[in-house]
Amino acid sequence: MERIYEVYDRIADHFAATRATPWPEVTSFLANRGPVACAVDVGCGNGRHSELLAERAGQVVGVDASGELLVVARADAVEAGYGGIFAPIRGDAGTLPLADAVADLGLYVATLHHLRPRARRRGSLDEFARVLGPDGLGLVSVWSVTHDRFDAAEGFDTIVPWTLPDGEQVPRFYHIYDPAEFSADISASACRAIDRFESSGNCYAVVRGA
Amino acid sequence: MKKSLLDILRDPLDKAELDLEVDERDGDEIVEGRLIGTETGEVYPIEDGIPNLLPPDMRDE
Repeated sequence: MERIYEVYDRIADHFAATRATPWPEVTSFLANRGPVACAVDVGCGNGRHSELLAERAGQVVGVDASGELLVVARADAVEAGYGGIFAPIRGDAGTLPLADAVADLGLYVATLHHLRPRARRRGSLDEFARVLGPDGLGLVSVWSVTHDRFDAAEGFDTIVPWTLPDGEQVPRFYHIYDPAEFSADISASACRAIDRFESSGNCYAVVRGA
Repeated sequence: MKKSLLDILRDPLDKAELDLEVDERDGDEIVEGRLIGTETGEVYPIEDGIPNLLPPDMRDE
């Protein structure tokens, strides 16, 4: 199977065209936050949440493993008028290429579930905490077994294909979390959970860094 | 990328600072060049303005 970023490089244009709207959970997390100096979007993809960050941060750092998605994110940032403060960085969520405590505000949304194995997922939460630092505030989300399309009580590894307009299916690795397991991974990491909730088939944690 | 980004970018391998070598600029944007780990010596390319700081075992070339 291809690496997950190779998959997103291939499907970038089609993915971006269908993933433009911010998630309501992210919008409400960010409401009344800021202004801050720096926000980091880990797994920023095509930048669907970057504009929300740009409205409240002096600089937005978008990290993604897919170079093609970053090119889309940058073009959208320029078009929307925040290209000057948007910095696209190609990097791995498992070992972030950023200094300690640089982010006052962070998102790590719909990305953690693409990493494997579990030790790497937990390590990536440590990395998110490191970049947030003790004062930074972040939102983490993963796909959950509570979503309608799954029929399982416990977390599991699976392949969820992306279907391109020509019908070609491109397999993507996911670890679908159960809520207790997500809580356990957050607790085992350097992230300090302030709030946890489930919404629309995803598990969320609001965290402070370390 | 802008040079000021060096303040927050780090070598993914050991989180040490990075040195910058520029091949091509467009105003204050560095379009082509490389970042080099000050401790590891690892070379990370800047491609079309986007630094590629994937760890070496995840890069495709």
